[in-house]
Amino acid sequence: MPTATTDSPVRTALRTGPVTPRRRARSGRGAAGRSRAERLAPYVLVAPAALIIAVFRLYPLGLGVNFSFTGDGDRNGQAVGLDNYAALFEDPLFLASMKNVGLLVLLLPVAVAIPGLLATFIYLRVPGHRVYRSVYFFPAVLSPVIIGAIFNLLLAFDGPANALLGTVGLGPVDWLGDPDIAMYAVVGVHIWATFGMALVVFLAGFATLDASLIDAARVDGASLPRVVRHVIVPGLSRTIQFVVVTTMIGMLTSMFGLLYVMTGGGPEGSTYLPEYYIWFQQGQMGRPALASAASTVLFCVMLVVGLAQIAVLRRAGRED
Amino acid sequence: MNALRAGRWLAAIPMAALAIATVYPLVFTANVAMKTRHEYVLDRFAPAEGLRWDAFATAWASADMGRYLANSLIVVGGAVALLLLFGSMAGFALSQLRFRGSRALYLACLAALFIPFQVIMVPLARTMGQAGLVDTYPGLILAYTAQFLPFTVFLMTSYYSGIPAEIVDAARIDGNSAYGVYGRIMLPLGRPALLSVGILNALFCWNDVLIALLLMPSAEHRTLMVGVTSLRGQYSADIPTFAGGVLIAALPVLVLYLCFQRQIATGVTAGSTKG
Repeated sequence: MPTATTDSPVRTALRTGPVTPRRRARSGRGAAGRSRAERLAPYVLVAPAALIIAVFRLYPLGLGVNFSFTGDGDRNGQAVGLDNYAALFEDPLFLASMKNVGLLVLLLPVAVAIPGLLATFIYLRVPGHRVYRSVYFFPAVLSPVIIGAIFNLLLAFDGPANALLGTVGLGPVDWLGDPDIAMYAVVGVHIWATFGMALVVFLAGFATLDASLIDAARVDGASLPRVVRHVIVPGLSRTIQFVVVTTMIGMLTSMFGLLYVMTGGGPEGSTYLPEYYIWFQQGQMGRPALASAASTVLFCVMLVVGLAQIAVLRRAGRED
Repeated sequence: MNALRAGRWLAAIPMAALAIATVYPLVFTANVAMKTRHEYVLDRFAPAEGLRWDAFATAWASADMGRYLANSLIVVGGAVALLLLFGSMAGFALSQLRFRGSRALYLACLAALFIPFQVIMVPLARTMGQAGLVDTYPGLILAYTAQFLPFTVFLMTSYYSGIPAEIVDAARIDGNSAYGVYGRIMLPLGRPALLSVGILNALFCWNDVLIALLLMPSAEHRTLMVGVTSLRGQYSADIPTFAGGVLIAALPVLVLYLCFQRQIATGVTAGSTKG
């Protein structure tokens, strides 16, 4: 333990003998006067958490990056330089998954605007606002696996969604079987399932907003869009930033369950995301080193996206 | 003023529609589970002819859901207990005790918060395999604990920093050691935060499928969510039973949500306003 070496003989002498409460109280004037056990206490309290985080979260990150420069199969353990990364960017599946990341980035404003707008309405006390909050949030607590299973039923080719479309004369859509549509269907379900989460965060942000500003704008006869644009958005810049970053992280890292249940990456690999690709290469294809390279790329993508968004929002906030 | 009021009523319409769209998929699934296969094929939307629980019973018995449920309860219970214990210990130390390296430890914890599981899953699976922890309860419990510990420590630290230092000092003068302060003061005072973070962690662990798929490959150790993923192949021709199985798996979360809605919302929003 780090402090064990910084003992002075005087303090050690003070510590001998049973420590009664009264003695402790007298000697406990400052950190220096405490017993050894007392000075070690913070480290003992932190140790389990620190060890688990270090061993199972921080260390694997380094290990994985290292691992991505070694080979799979016959070349197991050998250094192969950038071969895995080269293989990655020649793999159509991985390229498809990166293309889908681009799609997610494009859809991000939608995924943030919907809960933002709904939260605004709830904040402005739309009739029934109390109910909406708990109803909207509900799907956010369900497992993606359960949501995926339910939407498998709803979006089946001969399922209710198409039956509904049929009644208004629109042809059946192969929601999960058409490579041009499947990804949108899955992202749509993801947004449906998670907008309540962002909504609750927005509402918490609204609670910190100065209500008198909005009242003043109302008295001045400002229209709703103007109130949103000039009062609410600037006042919530921090919350918006938080929602943008967490929504993006959510899109990049919590769609595995949906993909696994709804499409399995298909049709024709059109619904691959990096996380699904990593799992596929590691678990199904037995190519852990290649999967590690994909992990490293995903990590970089997340860093870049996160930092870029924060930078953009900072600038937007300053202009206001 | 008037425009705003009119706007409010106008907004209420799409909002109500959205609320229906949010609830309907679940209602639809429940309705399907009450139907016979024949009824379902004839008309998907019509209300079931009566309350039939056959589909639930069939799914429960033939899909081995009891075993999956037990596995989930063991793993989630173990992970949440460890998370609350280690998270509150570390949160107390990081917020109320001064010691060398506390800032660095806190920052390391914060950094770990931003490492997604997908990024470390390959080396983690390998390390777990070498340690003989794959396909064991302790292995999955440890993986969940590691996954959600940064978040738990972060929340407990910010909650405990709101407790005045005078309370800790007073307890010290009364002769409590740091451990005594933790056990007698911090644990009881932290109850609201522990409840909130505990429920949230239970949800996260319960809902996970990726970590469980990776670390619990054998059929007998499947968690409930992994079990649900295999339902579809099993009952592709028997949609009502499939729907029943899905609903059984959703039920515990439904109950948890109805009881602890406020705590869940508190946990989700923590950290959003403070940045």
